[in-house]
Amino acid sequence: MSTTAKQALVLAVGGLLIAAFILRLARRRLLSTRYAVGWLGVGALIAIAAAMMPFVGRLGRLANMTPTAVLLTVSSVLLLAISVQLSISVSLLQERLRTTAEAHALLANRLDEMERRAR
Amino acid sequence: MLVVIPAYDEQACITAVVSDVRDAGFDCLVVDDGSRDLTALLARQAGARVVSLPINLGVGGALRTGFRYAVDHGFTCIVQVDADGQHVADHIRDLLDALHGDGLGLHYLDMVVGSRFAKGGTHHMSSVRRVCVRMLSAVIKRSGGIRITDPTSGFRAIRSPLLEAFAADFPAHYLGDTFEAVLVAARRGYRIGEIPVEMRERQGGRPSADLSASVQAMMRACTVLFTGTTFDLPERATGRPA
Repeated sequence: MSTTAKQALVLAVGGLLIAAFILRLARRRLLSTRYAVGWLGVGALIAIAAAMMPFVGRLGRLANMTPTAVLLTVSSVLLLAISVQLSISVSLLQERLRTTAEAHALLANRLDEMERRAR
Repeated sequence: MLVVIPAYDEQACITAVVSDVRDAGFDCLVVDDGSRDLTALLARQAGARVVSLPINLGVGGALRTGFRYAVDHGFTCIVQVDADGQHVADHIRDLLDALHGDGLGLHYLDMVVGSRFAKGGTHHMSSVRRVCVRMLSAVIKRSGGIRITDPTSGFRAIRSPLLEAFAADFPAHYLGDTFEAVLVAARRGYRIGEIPVEMRERQGGRPSADLSASVQAMMRACTVLFTGTTFDLPERATGRPA
């Protein structure tokens, strides 16, 4: 078995493992569908990359990089994109949490005032 | 008119601050910003209205809550006062006088900032902070077209329609509630002025002005200058305020 074939096999198995893990998390509702889809995409991409190892090699020669370096670069960029997306989500959630906390405090205050007046 | 006091873990000062404001003849609201101590209880006992946030949102978050409360309860004008006793309740009247101008609506303002450095104001501040404040002041002059010598002051009077605009959207991050709010309001055509006020040293509780805090303030000021403003207000409609 050639080195490239071994690499492809490892990648394919890795991709499938990720997909299986994500599906399991989604089924146990630890991961919302929205994010499950994204991560399943990552798993699929890795599996596809395995099938396209010869192409990756050719791409690498074009850019004067080894196939491993190409894969590492692509995966780094992908992880960076996912991190940024998650940061955006967290920022949005913070803003929503702030609005909710405000509404909660104002409602609690109104209820308090009403109860005091009723007494 | 409502005095809004954002407070986070200020049990050492809150009673005195609320009493001062009440003795000066003003109705006041303490926005308890998720305090873990007796701030809310003591404020209520001292005669303040109290709104308690379930989590700590920071000064900007507490302030927007206060603005919303004021708008919901039909107030058209608020004065923001710090909970640590730095601000002298006697100056509340001065801020309001400056806000309402000559009573004929000729020199009215939408916001009046109590400045430690304007003519007559005296205050000691670390040199690093002083440099920060000068820098921020210069930006407001250049980009907002107004002269505010103390843009980080938390002692301000704000009234309708700026009050409603702030109730709808107000930044919660550091310097957002002071510097950025002044800058954006100035750019959007709101009338902003300042008057000199004296400030005391904080009357108790945690001090917030050691060297590392100063350096942090400097870095954050630079960050704000670099990223630019992060919120916006509707253009001020022409005409007299309510």
